[in-house]
Amino acid sequence: MISYKADVIIIGGGIIGCATAYYLAKNNISVTVLEASDYIGNGGSSRNGGGVRQSGRDPRELPLVMYGIRNLWPHLSEEIGVDTEYHQDGNLRLGKNVHHREILQGLTDRANKVGLDVRMIDGDEVRKIIPYLSDEVTVASWCPTDGHANPLTTTLGYYKTARKLGARFYTGVKVMELRKVKGELRRVLTDDGSVFEADQIMVAAGYESRKLLGSVGIDVPMTRSLLEALVTEAEPHMFDQMLGTADADFYGHQTKHGSFVFGGSSGFEGFNKDNGTPMTSSITAPAICRGIMKYFPDLADAKIVRTWAGWSDKSADGVPVLGRVEEVPGLIVACAFTGHGFGIAPAIGDQMAKLIMSGTTDIDISALHYDRFKAKI
Amino acid sequence: MNTLSDRSRDIGEFVSQPGDEMIICRCEEITKGEIRRAVHEGMFTMTEIRRYLRAGMGLCQGQTCSKLVKGIVARELKVSPADLEPATSRVPMRPIEMKVFANENEDEDE
Amino acid sequence: MPLPERNDMKRYDLIVVGAGPSGLSAAIEASKRGVKTIVFDENARPGGQLFKQIHKFFGSKEHKAKIRGFVIGQQLLDEAGKAGVEVVLNATVIGLYQDKEIVVKTGDTVHHYKGDSIIIATGASENMVTFDGWTLPGVIGAGAAQTLMNLHGIKPGKRVLMLGSGNVGLVVSFQLMQAGCEVAALVDAAPEIGGYGVHAAKVARTGVPFYLSHTIVKAEGTDHVTGVTIAAVDDHFRFIPGTEKHFDVDTICVAVGLSPMSQLLKMAGCRMSDDPKRGGQVPIIDGHGETSIPGLFAAGDVSGIEEASSAMIEGRQAGIYAAEFLGFISKTEMDNGEEKLDAALDGLRQGMFAPKNRGKNIEKTEEGIDISRNLLCRGFIGDDEIERFPGVTHKAGVHPVIECTQNIPCNPCQDACAMHCIMVGKVITALPAVDPSLKCADCGMCVASCSGQAIFLVNEDCGDGTATVTLPYEFLPVPDEGTRGRALGRNGQEVCDAEVVKIRTSPAYDHTTLLTMSVPKEFAMKARFFKANA
Repeated sequence: MISYKADVIIIGGGIIGCATAYYLAKNNISVTVLEASDYIGNGGSSRNGGGVRQSGRDPRELPLVMYGIRNLWPHLSEEIGVDTEYHQDGNLRLGKNVHHREILQGLTDRANKVGLDVRMIDGDEVRKIIPYLSDEVTVASWCPTDGHANPLTTTLGYYKTARKLGARFYTGVKVMELRKVKGELRRVLTDDGSVFEADQIMVAAGYESRKLLGSVGIDVPMTRSLLEALVTEAEPHMFDQMLGTADADFYGHQTKHGSFVFGGSSGFEGFNKDNGTPMTSSITAPAICRGIMKYFPDLADAKIVRTWAGWSDKSADGVPVLGRVEEVPGLIVACAFTGHGFGIAPAIGDQMAKLIMSGTTDIDISALHYDRFKAKI
Repeated sequence: MNTLSDRSRDIGEFVSQPGDEMIICRCEEITKGEIRRAVHEGMFTMTEIRRYLRAGMGLCQGQTCSKLVKGIVARELKVSPADLEPATSRVPMRPIEMKVFANENEDEDE
Repeated sequence: MPLPERNDMKRYDLIVVGAGPSGLSAAIEASKRGVKTIVFDENARPGGQLFKQIHKFFGSKEHKAKIRGFVIGQQLLDEAGKAGVEVVLNATVIGLYQDKEIVVKTGDTVHHYKGDSIIIATGASENMVTFDGWTLPGVIGAGAAQTLMNLHGIKPGKRVLMLGSGNVGLVVSFQLMQAGCEVAALVDAAPEIGGYGVHAAKVARTGVPFYLSHTIVKAEGTDHVTGVTIAAVDDHFRFIPGTEKHFDVDTICVAVGLSPMSQLLKMAGCRMSDDPKRGGQVPIIDGHGETSIPGLFAAGDVSGIEEASSAMIEGRQAGIYAAEFLGFISKTEMDNGEEKLDAALDGLRQGMFAPKNRGKNIEKTEEGIDISRNLLCRGFIGDDEIERFPGVTHKAGVHPVIECTQNIPCNPCQDACAMHCIMVGKVITALPAVDPSLKCADCGMCVASCSGQAIFLVNEDCGDGTATVTLPYEFLPVPDEGTRGRALGRNGQEVCDAEVVKIRTSPAYDHTTLLTMSVPKEFAMKARFFKANA
């Protein structure tokens, strides 16, 4: 049992929590991160496909990720002392038929409207970028400023550097409840009876945030979905782009190590069951393999060494809930990233730290405010 | 199951030692020194060591090295190896070609 | 939403993963009770490690004592065949999922199976240890060496250094010599030998030096092993400078223990524990081998490292438990079926080497006799230590001398003697005692029955100044009668001239040759091995 006081407490030791802690610690703010599991970055942070994408994103969150790609990602490796393996070699979203073309055209039009460089290209142009793609690919949307990075080293790099700068991290400590003191959020009560106190408390605990926020009367409408991914053994270098498909049958990239990290779906993600741990289902990895092989016949012999699953915290409208909760003074929230929180995480950490320190952000995040959810009629 | 761990606790500075250059994880060519250094950088669990260094993430998935890595991490943390939770086991138990994993239909063998 | 393309799920009452001693035993017992059972194994042949075991097993009759491992393997296969067990080979279970579903790879296809019950009997894998040069070709696991020799007929090397003095290290050292390799030394960082003293003694008497409290400093060589340097270690396993010794070897065999291959259980979400006494990460199981997931059982080394004999009993029990879980037998039938097995398993888990005694420092036998320090630290019993054990008696004429000095669960010698000279008694870990008042028929059955090769027939005084010593001999070529050579002592040192006076073979000896050598009578209690002159 411990009792501890800091300027800021962050609940959730994923990449959002670690990045925010880093940017706070860098500014000499005393910050404590509480992680329920035994591991740093154990949720989506270590289970995602590594995309650092702007294309395909909702305009409400696009400015944040564009800010991160311009200002943070390019020098992040040096800053946090790990190889983030960041590549900015573009994102291809692949299509094989007229229906796919319509989907891709829609995404491209929306991106162009907010000033993002996304183009429609045909199959031959696609194969100029990645010659290994099968002839089935007839169309793609192409965003040259997108890329990918290594979520494991990036998350742990933020942790490592924040820790070095004096941020305190506790793992294996589950927060049960948030408590106000005289009308302001001040305390965090944990499962072992410890009490942590701070002037500001940020909840960045993925899906678990919903229950915690409930203890101070705030609800974020979200559900969770079990997503799966796999990795192959190291293969000779083939391409540096991030990939997705109009059909959403797989996404992923080739890592610096040479392995391919691909995510995909069986179609039952929202309904997968678990036993309390994120478990893979027996039907998903084969489905991902079939998806990949239609695009990359050359990968048929690549050996899969590992599969895994992770929950995404899906918000009701597909974008995160971010920022101050005015109803509960002292509360900041950053959750419901809906499966695309990794690429945006440095920007979130940077902006949340600014919000905590100065009360404002450089990027307008008002569209991501917690109270945006209204009944449809 | 989860145990409180203060990641700021003092485990001393990383000091290089003879034998640090020895390869421990053969698949990914990770040395003892890299593992020891990672512990001092805050990677206190087998899972984090694995994610941070790729030790045990190669073709054999830690079959050979996981006990060795565990022993090294435990010594740095001054705990018993039995107190360290091994990294998770995951499908597949043996590497499997994509085309085989994809081929769930017995009647269409090709 | 389109349904994923997939084959129909196949269902069985019971799926067993692993066709080794425990898995096959489980499948046999379940099948005998009407349970529709299928067994998967990733290897090309069933039997697990049994077919690599060319030595005779310990235990009592019910444990198939004095039968060689590969014969037990064949018996198990025959029994499985009769019971109608379906065994699928070259079938890798790549995952154990929720709802007791497995995915199996055979050929270029994966198949989905669900079992109403599943028994995981995946066994163990070899541990490794690091030293400078441990990744050089030529550094191999003892189990791998055994596979090369005993399954594929390939010598792992010409001259081998063995690291590890547990039973695996000792048994494989002996087998390396049987295969025609030279064992340069047997090395262990521990101060005492980990395995059975009798296994150590049969290696030591051939002349292999033991270096306890020593370990490998480095393997030498650029693209393969050409030599090895060892050194003594202190109480904290730190090298003591100046104690280095070099050996020219082309192979370093590592036998530093086994780890349960429990990954399938872990991935399925079973509660696990890390238990050094069981060899590593094992599922938490109840008295029936059932894991935290109902209907999912674990048996054999996967639930704790022991040996094949206990794995077979655990397997049989798991098969019976699964049959009860599935409603094929009643609880009473289950209890009846497994009472005897419980007793048999309990018998194996007694004595100094019992799992419960691991890590304990045992200085006296159950009879209160001081254990030979030489045996623990050097691999052989000192000539001045041997007389205190109940198997060592003296009388005129041929009589057995039993150099069995540790409490291990084993008693075939007792049944082997038709004259009832040898007594182990009800407690099968008791040291065998020889009753010198009863006549010895010199039939040799006790010598051949001893899995530890610790029984000798000695005539201490033939009346002409000589004595004869009959010893178990399992090397080729067998020397002819009349061959002259040197007798080696328990420590492997030459003690005197010797001549082979009799060679006996018999189907009843099961491939153990009985070599009788004549030595000067003052060496009757010292000469324990024969080496022909070059």
